[in-house]
Amino acid sequence: MEHEVIEAELVLPTHLSFKKVQMYEKFPKGQSRGRHWKHLKQIIQAENYQNYPADEPNYVNIESPPSMHPNKKICDITGYEAPYHDPRTKLRYANTEVFKQIRSLPNEYVQSYLALRNAAVVLR
Amino acid sequence: MPFISQIQRQSDYHRFPPSVPIVIDNGASYFRIGWAGESEPRIIFRNIVQRPRHKTTGETVTIVGDHDPALLKYFDCTRSGPRSAFDADVVFQFEIMEYILDFAFDRLGADGSEIDHPVLITECPCNPVQSRSKMAELLFETYGVPSVAFGVAAAFSYKYNQKRGICDRNGLAICSGFTTSHVIPFVNGEPVYEACCRTNVGGYHVTDYLKQLLSLKYPHHMSRLSWEKVEDLKMEHCYIAQDYASEVGLFQKGTKEAEQKARCWQLPWTPAPVELPPSEEEISRKAALREKQGQRLREMAEAKRSSKINELENELNGLEFLIQQLQHVGEKDIPSFLSTTGYVSKQEIESAIVKTTQSLRKAKGEQIENEEKADTSNAEKYNLLNVDDSLLTHEQLKEKKRQLFLKTTSEGRNRARQKRIDEELQREKQNKLEEAKRLENPEAYLEQLRAKYTDLCEKIEQKKRLKTNGGNTNGNGVSGGVGRGERLSAAQKERMRLLTTAAFDRGKGEDTFGIRDEDWQLYKLMSKDNDDEDEKQDEDEAELSRISSRLRDIDPTFTPKTDVGSSVSEASRPRPLTKEDFQIILGVERFRCPEILFNPNIIGIDQAGLDEMAGVSIRRLPSKVRGAEEGMTNSILIIGGSCLYPGMSERLESGIRMIRPCGTSIRINKASDPILDAWRGAAAYAAAVQFPQQTIKKMDYYEKGEEWLRKYQFRYTH
Repeated sequence: MEHEVIEAELVLPTHLSFKKVQMYEKFPKGQSRGRHWKHLKQIIQAENYQNYPADEPNYVNIESPPSMHPNKKICDITGYEAPYHDPRTKLRYANTEVFKQIRSLPNEYVQSYLALRNAAVVLR
Repeated sequence: MPFISQIQRQSDYHRFPPSVPIVIDNGASYFRIGWAGESEPRIIFRNIVQRPRHKTTGETVTIVGDHDPALLKYFDCTRSGPRSAFDADVVFQFEIMEYILDFAFDRLGADGSEIDHPVLITECPCNPVQSRSKMAELLFETYGVPSVAFGVAAAFSYKYNQKRGICDRNGLAICSGFTTSHVIPFVNGEPVYEACCRTNVGGYHVTDYLKQLLSLKYPHHMSRLSWEKVEDLKMEHCYIAQDYASEVGLFQKGTKEAEQKARCWQLPWTPAPVELPPSEEEISRKAALREKQGQRLREMAEAKRSSKINELENELNGLEFLIQQLQHVGEKDIPSFLSTTGYVSKQEIESAIVKTTQSLRKAKGEQIENEEKADTSNAEKYNLLNVDDSLLTHEQLKEKKRQLFLKTTSEGRNRARQKRIDEELQREKQNKLEEAKRLENPEAYLEQLRAKYTDLCEKIEQKKRLKTNGGNTNGNGVSGGVGRGERLSAAQKERMRLLTTAAFDRGKGEDTFGIRDEDWQLYKLMSKDNDDEDEKQDEDEAELSRISSRLRDIDPTFTPKTDVGSSVSEASRPRPLTKEDFQIILGVERFRCPEILFNPNIIGIDQAGLDEMAGVSIRRLPSKVRGAEEGMTNSILIIGGSCLYPGMSERLESGIRMIRPCGTSIRINKASDPILDAWRGAAAYAAAVQFPQQTIKKMDYYEKGEEWLRKYQFRYTH
């Protein structure tokens, strides 16, 4: 290990005296490292919130409801207000110049622009 | 960057007795740890872990937080990027959390056999009990912590500011963090979680949105747009528009104001070296060199030619000598004599002589007057052609065939020559005619020529478009091709259609193909080479070039349209890169990105924005505290990293004014330090005498079970 790396104490030591169980004891080499941790969705499912009274606050029911305001439609490329919508690419656009631009965009870019507002076609 | 990590190892760990709690603000973006009762956290670092491989030794190491990027050059970071223990605002990856805690306690100076201090750690509002118990388990079992307390960062921050008189006992905390935003109402100094609400939008989404937009806008500079850089750009330049529509209108109209608002990030760029035109000396030197080389080549060619002539003369002499000798040899000795020379008969030798003389002449550069000779001796040369086949021997028949072939080819050649001459004459005539026309009325002639030129240009252009686009002109002319269908020309498309219909017709019903004669026409249409269009086009192009050359001669103002034939090569030629190519302009993006906090549907999250959330929260207040809702808007505190944008308070005020009844008094305050107040508030609580009663002891954790842990709530009032 290089001198400057050691000097900066960049690397976390593997043995720390204040720990009762060391990392290498928990995850010995050879055993698969990234053991599976439940994702948030799985955690929420396991919480069984439906078994508790509805007025008790929990992680799921404190979420905000959908917005009451009408959706703001903005041009996917420029951010201007977008009165139009291209049926072919499904992109929203502000004016003819942007339209020209979106029609010359490769499909890959179209999809990434759509993905920005979570509207891309996801193939599974 | 406003946040700077502090990761110097502390040396005074042993000064603190075991009763002093350690306070941790475990935020999704930054981790802060310090001692209860102090005013500043000791250690601050980004809440991320990297596990790169060391380049020389190959071992995988753990790096916590952000470090000098220059030191990372010794590591191979391509395999794994920075990872966080958080999913939204909930800790789920406790392996990573453990690395982070390791690093934090290590830097705090811990070196005993365990962490013998109570720990107060923050969590999100209504943290799922699974996450809470895993965190408790980690702290108790791995670090030997005697007791743990969990609190909400936003509440600590609110209480801290309440103590300083910035907000009241009743009020709203609007906390916009890294991955989520919360609005938490406070009644009598306690947070009311029943009424709080969360939208899953935060600083992370703003940065990510900005990063994506910029990399789509500047695909060439994608590599420069690292997460850290974009985060910096966001903090430096983003602001919140008071009214998105009118602000964006300024940019759309291209007003002066908008121009001033646009920011430009100049990437490092060095102008390409300008190539100086070669000097006189250089040119002459090069010319001399070229001349010298040419001379050498010519000499070489000359030498080769003379040697070839020599060789041929020798051969000829040898052959002539052979013939002379052959005359002295008796008739019956000929075969034996010839067998030594390699020739079979006298005729063969003679033909060899003729060949050699011909090539010798050629080598000497003399004209071969074969053709003329052939013309004169036509009758004798093709003597066999008029004789009937039956009168000829086998040999003669062969000869006749040869003569026939020769005759037809020579005739064809003559015809072609004749045609060329005719064409020449025709053109001459046409030119003369046009010249006459021009002289007669130069203006009208020029006009006519120009009209013809543009006409032809258009025609060719259209044909080209038809060919590349298959007749489907989709607005953008040259390169709109997306699908496969648009790459084919009209003729190819038609062929495809025929093929597919033919393939499909076969299967169904009665097969009547071939009953009518027209059916067989299909194969003709299908065959690949019926693109007779091309010839027509070539004709057009030839005509066009003729007209344009003529125009160039007589019209000084004429400039040929470049986009007709050479547009492709023109475009593909690399343009020298300029300073402007290395600029990243932040215009609308400056306020478009933070706008997602108020309109999460811009990034496809269908939830209420910050201003609406305040209304939702007040509506959710339970009926027993309904009286308090009047005062709620009078004490709104904004907390968290995402409230640092300029214009945040004003926008929130106008937004909340819209949804609250007319005449409501609205007072919005920014926290004294929106980022560190949470830790400071927590440190103050941990130092209070009541703190030990609020903690979860190790025994509690083992004996009382999960249901109790779920009910556990930190109390913020004493």
